[in-house]
Amino acid sequence: MKYLGWDELIPGAILFSFSEEMEKDASEILPEDRPYAETNSHEAYVGDWRVLKPVYNRDLCIDCQFCWIYCPDVSIISRDKKMIGVDYDHCKGCGICVEVCPTNPKSLLMFEERIDNDDALAQWPEKE
Amino acid sequence: MSEMKKIKNLKDFSTSADRFEGANLLCPGCAHSIIVREILNATNDPLILSAATGCLEVCTAVYPYTSWDNSWIHIGFENASTAIAGAEAMYKARKRKGKLPASCEGKSPKFVAFGGDGATYDIGFQWISGCFERGHDMMYVCLDNEVYANTGGQRSSSTPIGASTVTTPAGRVSYGEKMMKKDMLSIMAAHGAPYVAQVAPNKWKDMVKKIQKGFATEGPVFINAMSACTTEWKFAPDDTIAISDLATDSLVFPLYEIENGTKLTITYRPKNKVPVRDYLGAQGRFKHLFKPQYEYLIDEWQKMVDARWEYLQRREEASV
Amino acid sequence: MAEKMELNEVEVWDGNMAASQALRQAQIDVVAAYPITPSTPVVQNYGSFLANGYIDGEFVLVESEHAAMSGCVGAAAAGGRVATATSSQGFALMSEVLYQASGMRLPIVLVVVNRALAAPLNVNGDHSDMYMGRDSGWIQLDAFNAQEAYDMTLMAFRIGEDPEIRLPVMSHQDGFITSHTAENVRPLSDDEAYEFVGEYPAVNPMLDLANPVTYGVQTEEDWHFEHKARQHHDLMTKVFGKVEEVFAAFEKKTGRKYNIVEKYDMDDADVAIVALGTTVETAKMVAEKLRKEQGIKAGVVAPRLFRPWPHKQIIEALQNVKAVACLDRSSPNGAMGALYNEVAGSLYQCENRPVVTNYIYGLGGRDFTVEHAEEIFKELAANAEAGKPTTPLQQFIGLRGPKLSFY
Repeated sequence: MKYLGWDELIPGAILFSFSEEMEKDASEILPEDRPYAETNSHEAYVGDWRVLKPVYNRDLCIDCQFCWIYCPDVSIISRDKKMIGVDYDHCKGCGICVEVCPTNPKSLLMFEERIDNDDALAQWPEKE
Repeated sequence: MSEMKKIKNLKDFSTSADRFEGANLLCPGCAHSIIVREILNATNDPLILSAATGCLEVCTAVYPYTSWDNSWIHIGFENASTAIAGAEAMYKARKRKGKLPASCEGKSPKFVAFGGDGATYDIGFQWISGCFERGHDMMYVCLDNEVYANTGGQRSSSTPIGASTVTTPAGRVSYGEKMMKKDMLSIMAAHGAPYVAQVAPNKWKDMVKKIQKGFATEGPVFINAMSACTTEWKFAPDDTIAISDLATDSLVFPLYEIENGTKLTITYRPKNKVPVRDYLGAQGRFKHLFKPQYEYLIDEWQKMVDARWEYLQRREEASV
Repeated sequence: MAEKMELNEVEVWDGNMAASQALRQAQIDVVAAYPITPSTPVVQNYGSFLANGYIDGEFVLVESEHAAMSGCVGAAAAGGRVATATSSQGFALMSEVLYQASGMRLPIVLVVVNRALAAPLNVNGDHSDMYMGRDSGWIQLDAFNAQEAYDMTLMAFRIGEDPEIRLPVMSHQDGFITSHTAENVRPLSDDEAYEFVGEYPAVNPMLDLANPVTYGVQTEEDWHFEHKARQHHDLMTKVFGKVEEVFAAFEKKTGRKYNIVEKYDMDDADVAIVALGTTVETAKMVAEKLRKEQGIKAGVVAPRLFRPWPHKQIIEALQNVKAVACLDRSSPNGAMGALYNEVAGSLYQCENRPVVTNYIYGLGGRDFTVEHAEEIFKELAANAEAGKPTTPLQQFIGLRGPKLSFY
């Protein structure tokens, strides 16, 4: 967000979560349908915190949702009880999702940031 | 009373639309956000939230960004409880007068305060006690990481014996923290609070059950949530859940609840009890305990945990 | 629905009851309060109103003054009318939260019954607590008697809650001398008073579930300065006009006229006392007496509004006098008195700079007598004659032991 002068600020240093009135509570609206304000951290980016990134392998996933529940950064995207992928704007690369993944081989693995996801999938390890 | 959200299993739970947002500034692997997500996702009721100064607060409302999709307030270090109690009082007053905002008409928002163990066990103790004595309809959640993590790892009255912190460092003649962790849950139960419980993020189902029970309770509810701290407990960020499992399976952090100040129920009994040694050995803050001169403390720890577990079981049996 | 109270045209109330009645009539949504001498009766009276069906808001009896103001901030942010009362040590304890309240622009009304600050402990009136609040970002109104305590407290809601202002307001009165002295007070009827105060205009309430809002953010070096500047700007430019507007509306309703800076016998004055609180009434009486008996052209100037500081109005009131005495009822602890510093700072900008001296008096409830005021006016007359100070710049009056003075 661009810096503002003192005369442009809302008195009280308050921040709004959304740019429009919400007809329903956010718990009843999926993130992709919400009118996020530019002051909502959803609109911010912390992807550059990562050293390693989790790569998701749909072929191995059993949709147990362990990665979803234990992700500290709301970065495991699940819709209709299915894991869809990783939100790389908000993932800080902690690796918890990989640690809690129960499949063999794992359906999520950490790779270096520079490696392309398709290349990562190509070098996925075999069952132990 | 609004209808309770139906969460039979994790797949059900995963359909929740999170109201806590990413790109907050909490450390990678922080358990705080896992706990907050589990609590917020346990209900679809509207929420009015507060937070005490601490990691959660300084990382989720740094201008110009908020990570909260419900109304939220932070005042100071000590008064998150009273801030939300004030908001709850305003809700009651405006409801009685028929002057609620139109968007709030007919709704029953839940009032929840968050604070770390510094804010809860130490500096905010009096404010919480006051709120619970007065019986506000609110939930207070302590994110208990047993240290002042936001200011760089100083001991609090929740820091367990033997932990090395920056103000009680282990040294040539010291094994670190000398005092036992304060038993906050018993203190809150002694207020006659209708519901108090210990939770841990790794046991999400137990967490959801307790939080839903808490939301369905009228009056003040205290939740002590173990929050494994990768930075100050000194373990790798991807080990947060593994460390939490060691805490609950070694019974260092037993999961139980107390209703109306008396009825104690243990809610998790590990099938395979893990030695306390394994829990301590997995964290850098206890590393020095494995030196020969301090190793006796590990045995002391085990005895302490066993005695506490014995006590909890007898309290549960006695149901008094 | 709360019951209405039948009031007489003239009631015999002390300052505490006057403030309590104003709070009751404003139909506050949440009062979170803690008792402390000498403001305790405000809390007690309110409890009694509640017990007898005159209040339908929430009355939260917290465990400390810090919690009182914390509860007020939470309640005000939720969206509704909020007030409390305190004094002295209680004021000091809530001082952390005073800054939070104003920084979040929450229009809370705080009745401050002025009292000394320990150590040594003292329960009586001086202005130490009022002075402690002067950098907190609140609007500070000062009453000199019980009637004014009632009037200022009612007006405080309308000033602070105005959506253009959105700032908390302190309604000050002197401990014991005002708070515990029964006087004739002419109240408005409940209906008239509420009509004057008006419905609470909610601005960004947390309870508006359609517009979730975050209060109490963290700002560092990249944003903090702008937010503080915004608040200062609004205090400096918006409050004076609003206070005048509300004073005018109040005069229309009651016939009682107030000014941002009150002036008594100032039209042709050569010398003036500047003071706050009950001292103003003593000084007025003495000025009148000296004019009659000794021909000293004496007057009195009293800031009704202590914060924001009425720089222009002070200059306007004092620019033509020859000598001014600023009376501070608080230990300056290593400086000139606060009122002296403010007045001298303003008068430095005048073409004709009057001689300005400072008197420290009345600490811990020590009486300020007619003789003290006479002595000050006589010294001022000498200063006016000489065109320079004939006394030390800062003198203690009413103090036992060797004469204490500085510079």
